[in-house]
Amino acid sequence: MVSVARFVTGLLAIATFTPHLAHADETCMSAYMPKITGQEDYVYVWTVGVDGVGDGSDKLVTVDANPKSPSYGKVVSSVSVGGRHEAHHGGFSDDRRYLWMGGLDDSAIFVFDVATDPGKPKLVKTIDSFAKDSGGVVGPHTFFALPGRMLISGLSNDTDHGGKTALVEYNNNGEYVQTLWLPDNAVYGYDVRVQPRLNRMLTSSFTGWNNYMTEFGKVVSNPEAMKQFGNTVVVWDAHARKPIQVLDVPGAPLEIRWALQPRHNYAFTTTALTSKLWLIEQQPDGTFKASAVADIGDPKKTPLPVDISLSADDRFLFVDSFMDGMVRVYDVSDAHKPRLVREQQIGKQLNMVSQTWDGERVYFTSSLLAKWDKTGADNEQVLKAYRWDGKALTPLFTVDFTKEGLGRPHQMHFGQNQFYKNQIYGGAGKRPPAVARAE
Amino acid sequence: MRRALAALPVLLLIGTAAGLDLDAPRPAAPALDPAAAAYTYTVAPFVAEYDAPAPGTYSLPVIDRIEDHQLFDSAAGTTSLAALKGDRLAVVAFVYTTCSEANGCPLAEAIMHRLDGRIAADPALAGRVRLLTISFDPERDTPLRMALIRGAFKPKTDWAFVTTTGDAQLAPILADFGQPVSKLYYEDGTWTGLFRHVLKVFLLDEQNRVRNIYSTGLMSPDLVMNDLRTLAGENGQPVKQ
Repeated sequence: MVSVARFVTGLLAIATFTPHLAHADETCMSAYMPKITGQEDYVYVWTVGVDGVGDGSDKLVTVDANPKSPSYGKVVSSVSVGGRHEAHHGGFSDDRRYLWMGGLDDSAIFVFDVATDPGKPKLVKTIDSFAKDSGGVVGPHTFFALPGRMLISGLSNDTDHGGKTALVEYNNNGEYVQTLWLPDNAVYGYDVRVQPRLNRMLTSSFTGWNNYMTEFGKVVSNPEAMKQFGNTVVVWDAHARKPIQVLDVPGAPLEIRWALQPRHNYAFTTTALTSKLWLIEQQPDGTFKASAVADIGDPKKTPLPVDISLSADDRFLFVDSFMDGMVRVYDVSDAHKPRLVREQQIGKQLNMVSQTWDGERVYFTSSLLAKWDKTGADNEQVLKAYRWDGKALTPLFTVDFTKEGLGRPHQMHFGQNQFYKNQIYGGAGKRPPAVARAE
Repeated sequence: MRRALAALPVLLLIGTAAGLDLDAPRPAAPALDPAAAAYTYTVAPFVAEYDAPAPGTYSLPVIDRIEDHQLFDSAAGTTSLAALKGDRLAVVAFVYTTCSEANGCPLAEAIMHRLDGRIAADPALAGRVRLLTISFDPERDTPLRMALIRGAFKPKTDWAFVTTTGDAQLAPILADFGQPVSKLYYEDGTWTGLFRHVLKVFLLDEQNRVRNIYSTGLMSPDLVMNDLRTLAGENGQPVKQ
């Protein structure tokens, strides 16, 4: 029995203490949405269609990731969306019931219901008016859940298909809310991530449609095209949605990962073209400072670092690089002095990395962009699952997306049956070490 | 901080021992560690480490529009959102009063309680904002229970605590606001007495349009106050901090 007095007294007590606890997803997602802990049952893979492979369409592929399941490591469902849209990234809604996935070419957005049957997502809504709604934004990239709405970073615009772009918001019903153009001295966009504790939002900067929809070789050999990449990270007042600082981060800074632990007022990013790991750190005066804290491989060889993933305890940063197909794991316990603790070949080409909340399983996919992926025998298209023991990655399973007739696997998200069945269960929800401890 | 945290269960015990147990009888449920549920789906307690942006220096776009809905109140009997709110601003929180999750309903109500005191003390806002707590557990949160809880808060504004007559009345309200809640069950199908909820608090303008939505676990009363002042200043009325 919870009495009225207990309810009121309890909340007054809550109102008077000031705990510092970590909050985040597994481990690089919106802090506004619920996370799943314990064993994931599914990996949802947003997959780029390839002409002549299966039905050739972009699709959401669901892979069974529960080792106790008879279909472990196998594809259990695949939902084609019809046509190729340059499937790229996406994200869950604030309640994790819907998965919004974007297409960078024609700016189509596909919303899947993952709650009704987590093993069999269903396409429930298509938004094909993104450019029109937003006043000319093209290339919906990051989907970051805010309470009641979805914050989407663009990559381009429909005027010149260059890099000038904006952040666009929709409500959870898929209705347009507002557009926020990047500031004039930092027009490019890529990732967007909010740290609610600091009321700060960071955006990074890639390149426009003209470059990401052109063969990589042609882009690299065209000096004019190579000038059309972002060199900035913008710090925003998250609540006011106002840019307050532009940081020089040369060479196309891509994924942004806020640290998860209390008092860790910093984020990491990597620059694709200059192969550096950057620390974006709040200073005592409240402003932010960007500093290059490590090289990723040999920058002269342009390994092209792409996706990164920070462990829940802020200790390990996984950095994938596309050209050499390597993952490099840095111990970032001292954020200013990352220490390379592991280099491991994952495949012939490598892009995305997702780790579980407990840090024990790490998933990789191979595809970067349809026109930037390698060709011939090097065009390996796989999802690979590994176990991470703090020292090395041990293979768990591989799904060959070409052999399975699926396409180019790109971004991954995790699903879990029990989360949606609304059941209380014991034992599975293991708390991560050194995370979420009150001081 | 450890001491403060350790004091929490003690305070809860004192609250229970004080004997104000006014609960309606409920079916017995097996023992449950609320933390086992809480950790799975909610963000952790939160302290805003920033100064909220000054009122009137930013805009709050229209996110959604809320229709009128029937509600149930011990004083007024059948009432409605429009009747309670009128053309005022409103802060609307959904709770169930037996919620044991520190970062859920009790936190939402703690923040509402702070807002109540601060709104009453603010000449620019007093009388212009309706605080509204709506239960999503009509079975247990009777109008009487809601009235008793209201009394325990000793609100300084006309903060309303309302419920509904049942799920038929409740479901369209939750759907319109976009506040998903669902009952949590044990594996044998017994209801745990808990709800899964990612709680949101809604800021409504005079025209019943949603102008902001706060995730209770990441919510700062300073921010809500400045949002209220921003909305209050939209029609050329003074904005004060």
